[in-house]
This record gives sequence, C-alpha cells and structure tokens, in this order.
Amino acid sequence: MLGRRIIQFFLIFTLGIICLMGVKYSLNLSDYVIPGPREILTTGRSIFHEYLFDTMNTLIIAVIGQAISIFMAFFVGITARQSTWAGTLIRAAAYNIQAYPIVAVAPIIFILLGDGFTSRLLIAAMICYFPLLLSVIGIMAEPVVDIEHFYVATGRMHWQLEVKIRAFENMGKLTTVIAGSSTLAMAGTIVAEFIAANQGIGHSIRIALYQSDLARILVALFLIGLFLSIYQEILESIGKRITSSLFLTKECRLNKMSRNSAEL
Amino acid sequence: MAKSKMDLKNITIKGKSPLGLTCRQLEYRYPESDEWVFKHLSFSLDRPGFHSLFGPSGVGKTSLARVIAGEIKGFGGELDQGTIKTILYTYNQERLPGWSSLARHLTGMTPPGKDELRRELVETFGLKPVLNHTFAQLSLGQQNRVNLLRYLLQDFDLMIMDESLANVDERSKETILLKIKELFYDRYFLYISHNLIEVARFCDRIFVFRGKGKSPQTITFKGLDTRMNKLSRKEDLDRVLLEIMNAG
Repeated sequence: MLGRRIIQFFLIFTLGIICLMGVKYSLNLSDYVIPGPREILTTGRSIFHEYLFDTMNTLIIAVIGQAISIFMAFFVGITARQSTWAGTLIRAAAYNIQAYPIVAVAPIIFILLGDGFTSRLLIAAMICYFPLLLSVIGIMAEPVVDIEHFYVATGRMHWQLEVKIRAFENMGKLTTVIAGSSTLAMAGTIVAEFIAANQGIGHSIRIALYQSDLARILVALFLIGLFLSIYQEILESIGKRITSSLFLTKECRLNKMSRNSAEL
Repeated sequence: MAKSKMDLKNITIKGKSPLGLTCRQLEYRYPESDEWVFKHLSFSLDRPGFHSLFGPSGVGKTSLARVIAGEIKGFGGELDQGTIKTILYTYNQERLPGWSSLARHLTGMTPPGKDELRRELVETFGLKPVLNHTFAQLSLGQQNRVNLLRYLLQDFDLMIMDESLANVDERSKETILLKIKELFYDRYFLYISHNLIEVARFCDRIFVFRGKGKSPQTITFKGLDTRMNKLSRKEDLDRVLLEIMNAG
C-alpha cells in the first residue's frame, strides 16, 4: 500500500516536471527562469541532505501540530455537540473564528512569540484545527437516532456513550478527515516557516525564492510530497487498524465472545 | 424450555390498578404545518393487555405513539397517564451498536434480577443461534426481534410496539406474541401493525384510525385476544375482520 502511494507520488511529480520542461522548451525559456533537468539533478544532489533534514524538521512540527489540533477539535467538538446554550455559543464562535484567515494572524504570532518552535507549532495547529473542528462538530452534533433512541428512552444515555456511538458510526469519515488534515498541518507549518521562521523546509523555500532558484524549490517540493505521502499512509493504516479492531472478524469474534454466549 | 407458572410469576411485575391511559380530544400538527396529523382524537386504555392502533399509513399512528411516549411535545387536548408511570416506545428501524455481539449487548442491558427473563425471551424469540453475531450480521426479522427483546427486559408499564415485528415470519410472530401476552399479562401494550389478521387475532382493544376529516377519528373494536390457553375460532376472526374493514 505504501509502495503504491509512493509510486503514485513519483508519477504525479514526474508528470509535473515533464509539463514544466514542456513549457520551458516550447516557450524557449532560459535556465534562469526554469532550470534544465541536469541542473535540477545537480542541485538536488548538492542540497539533498540539507533539505532532507529541513523537511523532517517541518514534518515533526506538522505531526505535533496535528496531534494538538486533533485533541482540540475533539474536545471542542464534543463540548459543542449539544444544542444547549453553551454548545450553540461554542459552535458560533468556532465558525466565526474560522472566517478569519490564520495566515493573516500569523505575523502577530511571530511578533509576540518570536520565530522559533512555538510560533511554527501554533500556526500549524491552527491551520489544521479549524477544518478538523468543523468535521468533528458536524459528526458529533448529528444524532444517530436509530441507535440512540433505546438509550435515551431507557435513561441509559450518558455523554461518553453518545460520543462513542457517533464516533463509531462515522469512523470512516473521521479517519479520512484526520488523514486529510495532515496535508493542512504540513501546509500550515510550511506557511509559518515561509512567513518568518528560521528553520524548516518553508524557510529554505523562502531563501530559494529570494535567489530565484527554481531547482531548489523543486527539490523541496519533491521531499515535501514524499514525506507527506508516507505520513498520510501511516495515518490511514492507523485508522484502518482502529476500525478493524472495532469491527472484529467473524472468527475472532466467535473466539472472543463465546464466553458471553455461554452466560446466556 | 418450559417454565412453571410459579417461575413466570417471578419474572413479571405486580398487577396495577386498571385505570390506564386516557386521551381526550388530542390534536397535533407539525410545527409550521397547517394540516392536522390528527384532531379530536379520544380513546382510553382501561385495562392492561395487548391493544392495537390500526389504520392505513399516514393517519398519525406513529405520531400519536410518540405523543403518548412523550417524544413529541406541543400537542393539544388532554393526555392522562393514569397509573401508567413508565412508557417505552420502540420501532422497527432501531439498531444496536456494532461494537459488541448480541450476547454481550443483551447481558449489559439486562436490569438486575432479569437474567431468567432474558434467557426465556432469547429462547422464544429464536435468537440463541445468533448470539455471537453482531447486529449488522442479522436478517431484518432477527434485528427487529432482538430490538424488541431488549425493550421487554426493561421496566415499563406501557410499551408501544411500532411495527416491531415487521419482517418476522408468521409462525415466529405468533410464538412471540403469545409469549409476550403470557409473560407480561399485567402490562399495557399498544401494538401498531398493518397486518389486519394479526391485529384481529391477538389484540384485545383495536383502535382503528379512520383518517383525516372523519368523525369520530377512531373507532374501538374488540379483538379476539388470542392467548396460549384461549384460541380463537375462524368464524370469530372473520367477523372481527369484517367489522374493522367496514369501519374504514
């Protein structure tokens, strides 16, 4: 599965490079605007290690930022799921704050917190957080009436059970949203680094941009895409593992649950 | 597994006063709708037993059931619960969570002291062979049976069964209904079904909904109230069927 995803990435990246070369040679653009394949390879070899560590640095921030945003989204989403006054207020606040672009707020964060780890992490988490929050609120605020009715009617419903039912019934959606949000976390971190940070692949892209060095930018894009593909695949595998542990196979279920039937 | 009369008494609640549910001039329409779902609807359940709400689709049976169960507010008229304290409403599209087997779910949903009742019902409902399955692995009829079973394990005075035995074969349905009537003889049931023969055979009072614009909106018939020790005759069944069909 991981191999297939990486092959897909290589195909798309190669297609992009071919298109770029098509533009270069059809419009007869100079190497200064779009470098040739040889220059891209030479640049790639010379900066590979440096950019590799930069990308890993960015990915670590993105992973931590995403973990924080997942925690926050679930905390707020679960709190805001009810149609009470507080729940409605939290939902309205979440929607309104989301309307404000985080990138526009980012300079304030850098001014207040400096250009280090914390600012990058905060911006990554915030960019990843809001779309995630909207999905979690959407899932948690939607009752699964056909399942919940019994528990409500018999007075057995409590908030943990409600959350469990809704999460279980929407496990596929949640896994997809979380895996998809990894792209946002990575993008958030790169944007933060691009704006003001002094580390990471976004910072390297900014320097390459100032030098108008497209070869370096292409190498950076290659590494970002590669790392993101691997990370997304890992997240989806975790999601599948969680889902399969909940939806036990028949054989497994028969073994594990024979004790319960014996009781009956 | 046959049970003695003494055992059966242990797993039913104590008898209650015969003053049950009374509906007077009930009326309801959905918010922002001009059309009444039902209006001037009056009937009463003056004794425990297996009663029925019967009528064509769309006449308001489910809405009335949900009004009685307290799931719909904002209705007009008077609803007097009398001695009935706990009302449960169950319908045929309910599902069990998919994270556990039926055995585990039913065990978890059984109130203390009702394990014997659970075993009895599992046996009668024909669910023993599928206890290791999850809900999604069952047929529609099995799903409806297990859903009804878990409701029957709870404490209730009145249970409204809205198409609760849909997709269940006739033989199993008969066995289940007779067992329910035997075990819960002192509770109130309101059975909603579109199967006229079934309603005529097994129900005591049959409240037939006549549809919008007709007065009175319901007519009450006496059903055959078939029990294990009181079988019904074909001539009586034909008579009740004719009466109900003419009422519409």
